[in-house]
Amino acid sequence: MKLVNQFLKTPVIILFALSSTACITSTVQDTRTGVTGIGAHESVVIMAKSYHLGNETERKYIRCIEDNLARGRSGLNVIPHDEFIDSLFPWFEPRTAPAETKNLAKLMERPGVAQRIAEQGVRYIVWLDGDTERVAGGGSLSCAAGPGGGGCFGFAWWQNDADYDASIWDLDGLESAGTVSADVSGTSFMPAIVIPLPFIARTQSKACKSLADQLHAFIVQDETA
Amino acid sequence: MNRSALLGILLAGMLAGCGANVTLPAPTIPAPLIDQIPMSVGLRMPANFQAYIHEEKVYGKQEWSINLGRSNAALFEQLLQFMFAGVTMVGVSDDPQLMPIDALIEPSIDAFEFSTPEQSNTDAFAVWIRYRIKVYDREGKLVSNWPVSAYGKSQTTTLGSSEALQRAAVLAMRDAAALMIMKFDTVTRISSLATPPGSGTPAIQQPRNDASDDDVQATAIEGSSDETS
Repeated sequence: MKLVNQFLKTPVIILFALSSTACITSTVQDTRTGVTGIGAHESVVIMAKSYHLGNETERKYIRCIEDNLARGRSGLNVIPHDEFIDSLFPWFEPRTAPAETKNLAKLMERPGVAQRIAEQGVRYIVWLDGDTERVAGGGSLSCAAGPGGGGCFGFAWWQNDADYDASIWDLDGLESAGTVSADVSGTSFMPAIVIPLPFIARTQSKACKSLADQLHAFIVQDETA
Repeated sequence: MNRSALLGILLAGMLAGCGANVTLPAPTIPAPLIDQIPMSVGLRMPANFQAYIHEEKVYGKQEWSINLGRSNAALFEQLLQFMFAGVTMVGVSDDPQLMPIDALIEPSIDAFEFSTPEQSNTDAFAVWIRYRIKVYDREGKLVSNWPVSAYGKSQTTTLGSSEALQRAAVLAMRDAAALMIMKFDTVTRISSLATPPGSGTPAIQQPRNDASDDDVQATAIEGSSDETS
């Protein structure tokens, strides 16, 4: 019985190891236009630029950035974006959200807006722009099944590009603090000889982790990052 | 289970795959950060506005039935209660002349459209709703006829098709609410219909039959998208 278990476990372990070794290249950059820093009672909001402007940033990517920024002992206070948008309705809806920092002063004059932002301790709004797209792919893979069993044969590959830009607005001075960008390209492969072997490039996850780490360093102004 | 029962289940499954029914829950909009307009309005909604069903067959694909139910009515009831100091519901057979209101607001739906991910070649459902807002003064004269176009979009990656379409529709309704909060008074000048203090209880009459809606020019088109600029 032990031998059977071992026989079943080995291919699973090999598959798992192979699946985590696809090809990924990434570039993360930032441009600073102001001095940053964050206090213990201050917080950050992650927002997507409006889809009215053609932006396609995925909700799960926003949540991923929120989770990564808040994680760990040095994690930041992150206000969930849905909660922030609801608390300031209707001034951060896709139609009404300020597109430039020069619109912030007028926004703050609206009834209750400055007070609601202060209550939540929001110091930075990070606007995300970009998405993950499949930019290339090829190969051929076919599978068949019959009474005696089934299997796949062939080879398929695809390339995903995750390009995201983050603009950091400092609500203390109502000005831009700078931008951080992450460009990640990942190629996944799937050869199949009876059993398909997936070599999946986790492009979006890598772009999330890279951008979140750089954003954290940017906001706390960690020059060593 | 016998063979005919299995065949029946399979057939039912195949038929279910040919169509999709989506029922929209009544949306809840958050309390907006605005100053209320100090006047009393009546809200009269046509029967089909309170039970709107959109049916469409996407060419070569699924047949969709989208039941908006009371969602539009719920949206306008909440929205107007946030926007105006007083809101009175006016039934189709009610006489608004007997009601203490400064103006009568009558919303309707001009058009409902949506696109599926297959049509747009994206991961998202998109919904467009074009409302028409008519505002009548105390004499029943149509003073504003405003088309409000709203748009919502939701990705399918973590949601099923029905949930993504529901979310896109709710976002379109929130979009309409945001536009109306920003522009309602600017476009319709409804606040000018408020009864001046000390001039008695406001009352309005039935809309006049001699002034058809077609005679009245739309007082405004949809406003620009960025009020904060």
